[in-house]
Amino acid sequence: MSQTTLPRRMSRTDSRSKATGATLYTADFEHRGALHAAVVRSTVSSARIRLIDCTAARSLDGVVAVVSAGDLPEALCGRRVRDMPLIARNVIRHVGERVAVVLAESRATAEAAAALVEVEYDDLRAVFDAQAALRDGAPRVHDEPWRYPGAVVTEAMHPNLQSVVSEGDADTTEDRLAQSAFLVDETYTIPSTKQGYLEPQAWLAVPLDDGRVRLRGTTKSPYRLREQVSTCLGLQPGDLEVEPTPLGGDFGGKGAPGDAPLCVALARMFKRPVRLVLRSAEDLTATDARHPASVRVRVGCDSSGALTAMAFDALFSGGAYAAHKPTATVNLHGAVEAALGYRLPAWSVRSRVVYTNTVPKGHMRAPGATATIFAVESAIDELAAAAGLDPVEFRAANLLGDGDVDAYGHRWRQARAVPTLRAAATAPASVPTPQGWAGGVGVAVYCRPTAASSTSMRLLPKADGGFEVEVPIPETGTANHTVVRELLAERLDVPAELVEVRQVSTSQLPGDPGVGGSRVTVGIAVAVDELARRWELSGKDGPVEVQSGDSLPKPVLSYAAQVARVAVDRATGQVKVLELVSAVDVARVVNPVAHQLQIDGGTVMGFGSAVMEDLIEDDGQLWAANLGELKLPCAADIPKLTTVLVEGGDGIGEANVKSIGELTNVAVPAAVANAIADAVGVRVRDLPLSAEKVWRGSQSLGEERGLRS
Amino acid sequence: MKLTVDLNGSTRHIDLDATTSLLDWLRSLGLTGTKEGCGIGVCGACTVLVDDLPVSSCLTLIGVLDDRHVVTVEGVADSDPGLVEAFVDCEAMQCGICTPGHVMAAAGARRAGVGLGDDSGDVDEEIRQWLAGNLCRCTGYETIVAAVRSYLER
Ligand code: FES
Ligand code: FES
Repeated sequence: MSQTTLPRRMSRTDSRSKATGATLYTADFEHRGALHAAVVRSTVSSARIRLIDCTAARSLDGVVAVVSAGDLPEALCGRRVRDMPLIARNVIRHVGERVAVVLAESRATAEAAAALVEVEYDDLRAVFDAQAALRDGAPRVHDEPWRYPGAVVTEAMHPNLQSVVSEGDADTTEDRLAQSAFLVDETYTIPSTKQGYLEPQAWLAVPLDDGRVRLRGTTKSPYRLREQVSTCLGLQPGDLEVEPTPLGGDFGGKGAPGDAPLCVALARMFKRPVRLVLRSAEDLTATDARHPASVRVRVGCDSSGALTAMAFDALFSGGAYAAHKPTATVNLHGAVEAALGYRLPAWSVRSRVVYTNTVPKGHMRAPGATATIFAVESAIDELAAAAGLDPVEFRAANLLGDGDVDAYGHRWRQARAVPTLRAAATAPASVPTPQGWAGGVGVAVYCRPTAASSTSMRLLPKADGGFEVEVPIPETGTANHTVVRELLAERLDVPAELVEVRQVSTSQLPGDPGVGGSRVTVGIAVAVDELARRWELSGKDGPVEVQSGDSLPKPVLSYAAQVARVAVDRATGQVKVLELVSAVDVARVVNPVAHQLQIDGGTVMGFGSAVMEDLIEDDGQLWAANLGELKLPCAADIPKLTTVLVEGGDGIGEANVKSIGELTNVAVPAAVANAIADAVGVRVRDLPLSAEKVWRGSQSLGEERGLRS
Repeated sequence: MKLTVDLNGSTRHIDLDATTSLLDWLRSLGLTGTKEGCGIGVCGACTVLVDDLPVSSCLTLIGVLDDRHVVTVEGVADSDPGLVEAFVDCEAMQCGICTPGHVMAAAGARRAGVGLGDDSGDVDEEIRQWLAGNLCRCTGYETIVAAVRSYLER
């Protein structure tokens, strides 16, 4: 297994069915006799519901029922904290909150009736901004948030806190910062955006004669969804079966329970299948968007350019419910890991997530990391400039290396930050700067630990010498089923075409944590090792099943270093990103094309965050409320993409693999901001990096110069 | 409204509300290869050909389709196998929700004579401009552009 990639002869498992349109997603399933649901959503941010008038809606032909909170059990749902009702119970906490749901014989009727439901509200005071939410006397989004099941806050804390994590040594950090020869103290902000999957969330809940419910839907973690829905509704996990269904994109957004608990409750109540397919605008404005953030970074170095300390303080608006965050801390790991990348003699990290009267926020590809790395990697560049040092050499002198112990106390056998950085920095420019524009180059680095988690699989030998493999994970598009096929074919020494991979329902395998956390490829690799061993032990006979997880290998670090080359028009501030170079620290690559797609797709998503995307939350309303307003990059927008694979990394499992899915989207915004600063001397600390912000920055630069001269 | 539409080569006589969207009509026939993404003509997931031109079926009302020829991904999958092969060979998809739309945009590209290059003779740039109405959040577009180019060269 010394070669860098596996031999390849075949396209991915799903390419033909996707190219012919044969792949069926949730919205492609109908069910005879299904009730079609349409949700009535709040138009106000903070209010008491005075009256819900359903008379007109009920009078439409084909309407079966209009359901509001009083008709349903008083249930709360969430991934960790259960603070979200099935439907708003008296109190409205954000625009887009579920107020009522119409059930009808057709989708068109349900939607028409939903528009006829009249809701009268008594407005309450609202708070939209995270900073304002933490002031004394700020309106409370929830009366007693510490009482929710799973809450990590206490009565002694500010009532609008969802979560706070503080690590490091604040006192030493203050001392060291005070003694630094050079110091940067700046605040960086990023807006909300959406994961941007093109398939809106959708659910189909079918009640069975034995009282169980079969659920199909847009979930990337079927087993966790089963647990969340059954906990919420007081069912046994076995009462619910989540059907295997591919997803039309995820990027973190489809790990939240969404409207699933409501659909299951309705299916049980009406004893009929319930089908809910969100419209895109509804999905954009009412489901788990990215946390907007404001991040203060104070970082210093001595006169030789060695880092002395970093104080990192992130404040995230979590929206009206904490229900979409799955981690034990109910925080965002990207921020908690802010001190990971560099050798820091002293450091402190604080990350707070607060309740606001805005749409509840959730996970998006490397949660918290885009805000964190935009802030830290911009600040590192500003510090290099203050110290008069080259930004690449300054980083190279301070990044973790092999055998170093990171801020959190882990010693990493291998930390390939510097070779990855150098690979990005030395990639030759391949796009010339247009005449009359100012050219600039910027770099940024992201460091991420990869850890395997447990999963399960079943191997079934077939009469023709081939195999069927049952897996618990949906194909979200990352080619995870292809990875299973190729790793298993290699271990069993059979041609890949003899291995057929199938996702099965949650009743058919022991469990899986779902797609996410960059754990899928490494988790598969560990489970495939185990499965192949069992197969040998079984005497190569009969089905064998594994539930991996007893002894998971140690995590490894992965790096992406990205260089942006930009051209800036001094007169207007317009920025053209000419080229994005992504150097990626890799071990063995299972499927080079799928791997490259993750790199490219991530880089383009980072590009969108850098220069285009903003949901524009204003007083709790989202102004970029459809895909015409929320600009996602199209083929004509994107710069030249260049990839450098930095081979030779130590990976996980016998397959020797690392993660790739959440590496390249993270550092692009900082790289572009650093490139703009290099081109015209303007530092923009607020995403997206728009022409207006660059232009305004250059105006004030001009004024400063004018004053000085 | 009564009308006659040629759908994937077969004649359909239909009687529908003229404001029914082409997308809803196709999906009601079980032709679910045409996807609904944005629903407002931005993402291209619902792209089909009407008289050889790619259109957003979510914005096309059935009332304007009398005597027109509609081709969906199900139609080209059989009649133009090279098109599907190009997407399979180039692995021009991840989640795949945008793929039928991109396949139909490619079909439209050939019919519109795309592939000779833009003003400076750059074929990839011409293809990128042609695909500007089809979003893909997954792939970063490189393999999609490659698939379209490979199809146009076939
Ligand atoms: S669904 Fe028609 S263009 Fe997006
Ligand atoms: S493959 Fe997922 S949107 Fe294009």
